[in-house]
Amino acid sequence: MTIEVMQEKPALPRLPKHERYAGIITAVAIVILLQIASMVAPHYIAPPPADILSSLWNKLLPLYGDMLLTLGRLALALGCAMLVGTGLGLVMGMFPTARPYVRSVVVIDTGIPALSWMLIAVFWFRMPELRIFFILLVIVIPFYALGVADAIRAMPKDLLEMCESFRPNRWQVLRYLIFPHVLPYIFATTRSVIGYATRMIIFAELIAATAGIGAQMGLAQANFDIATILAWTILLVGLNIVLQQLVTWVEQYMLSYRQAIEVR
Amino acid sequence: MQTALMKTAMVQTDLPAIQLQQVGVTFGDVVAIQNLSFAVERGEIVSFLGRTGAGKSTALNLIMGNLAPTRGEVRVMGIDPKAEFQQLRRVIAVGFQTDRLMPWRTALENVELGLQILHEEKTATRKKATEWLARVGLERAANLYPHELSGGMRQRVSLARALAIDPEILLLDECFSQLDHVTSQVLRADISRLIRELRKTCLFVTHRIDDAIEMADRILVFGAPAKLLLEHHPTEADRNDPAAFKVLHDLIAEKLGIVE
Ligand SMILES: Nc1ncnc2c1ncn2[C@@H]1O[C@H](COP(=O)(O)OP(=O)(O)O)[C@@H](O)[C@H]1O
Ligand SMILES: [Mg+2]
Repeated sequence: MTIEVMQEKPALPRLPKHERYAGIITAVAIVILLQIASMVAPHYIAPPPADILSSLWNKLLPLYGDMLLTLGRLALALGCAMLVGTGLGLVMGMFPTARPYVRSVVVIDTGIPALSWMLIAVFWFRMPELRIFFILLVIVIPFYALGVADAIRAMPKDLLEMCESFRPNRWQVLRYLIFPHVLPYIFATTRSVIGYATRMIIFAELIAATAGIGAQMGLAQANFDIATILAWTILLVGLNIVLQQLVTWVEQYMLSYRQAIEVR
Repeated sequence: MQTALMKTAMVQTDLPAIQLQQVGVTFGDVVAIQNLSFAVERGEIVSFLGRTGAGKSTALNLIMGNLAPTRGEVRVMGIDPKAEFQQLRRVIAVGFQTDRLMPWRTALENVELGLQILHEEKTATRKKATEWLARVGLERAANLYPHELSGGMRQRVSLARALAIDPEILLLDECFSQLDHVTSQVLRADISRLIRELRKTCLFVTHRIDDAIEMADRILVFGAPAKLLLEHHPTEADRNDPAAFKVLHDLIAEKLGIVE
């Protein structure tokens, strides 16, 4: 009994050539526009690109400690939000009686403006680290909770029935079926939330902390240093792209079985 | 531990592997099973034949313990499969109509699932799963994911997954019916040979009369809502003599209301 095995895997999709360069062309266009603006407007409104570049090199680079701090805060808070949010999502997905209550809490939470949380956090917590952590946690948790709850709702009943035919306990169902099924949704949530979380942490640092990128931007603003603010902005745009790419790489590595499916 | 003790206790008793007594199942107004009684002896291969909607899958769900009967009693090795769900660990395995493979697991890892659920040791699990993949002719596909396999190969993996836990009872619900005719025939021949070699108790649902005559020790023909229309023990003559085969085939077809 021998059977022919299909070995070839479909290739991953790649952007066509003209699209791959679009980003670079757009960036160059922005630099040219900035240069033109700096020639017609005063420099405290539109600094020339050379000034921004010099700020980036001379003022931002020495502040790598603040950058690492922001990144560390982001990683810690995102990681905790992922755990707590996934937990809530599992509760919503697995315990039908608890679902409406947890869902209500999550829906109310999503409706609360980020700014309210930031101001509340300043009142509630004295330590800046705790404030930032809290703010990010309450903002990001609902995304994970809802993402995971939806994932469980989308779980094929066929697979559950098959799994149950071996008479597993609850923990085994979670481990062998629900968790692997939910994992891609957790990645998708992370991919879509990481940019938002980065913007929010900068905002939170501006309001609630004395160190970190947001606090440094507040300082530059107090000094009327627009070149430095724009330099930070460029850095953050770059950071966002890098973080997205990072998540995508981890995702592709951990969910390699899906690569071929997605192409279809 | 508990399962092992229980199993020895059960083997000593002379209860049939599966027993339904005056079972009725209704879903709201729909009567899925009217009044069904039958027993399957240990080591017997029984085929359920019936048209779509006759209640065959519902009967299997009763035996799996996914469903409690509205009336009557269901016993598997003397145990109520729904009320004492965990007690039948390792006793029952199921092959479904579709392969139901986990897309994130390779063929080999899919075969390992049942063994993992039964807490078998890691190296033993890998060894058994590898053996079973080879037995269904897929040793070279061990590391491929389900989407890289053909429909027939996927169904082989799913049957290997069921057989790997060495169950006493194998339930098969139309598990060849989604495959093309040739694939299904080859697979059916392989699986029925395996079941006979291993002397498993097997209850398989099908709507193909040929399947039933060729594989089963006994055929139960169902009419909706799940009542027995005919019970027959196919003989070697039924299987090998084309004329006898045709007579039996036509008798069953007539009972099923299929005019050919
Ligand atoms: N969960 C359910 N809820 C309501 N009706 C059901 C359910 N399961 C099966 N039925 C009905 O019971 C009857 C028997 O179905 P089924 O056992 O699936 O038949 P078969 O497997 O023989 O095709 C059908 O009329 C079907 O619509
Ligand atoms: Mg059916």
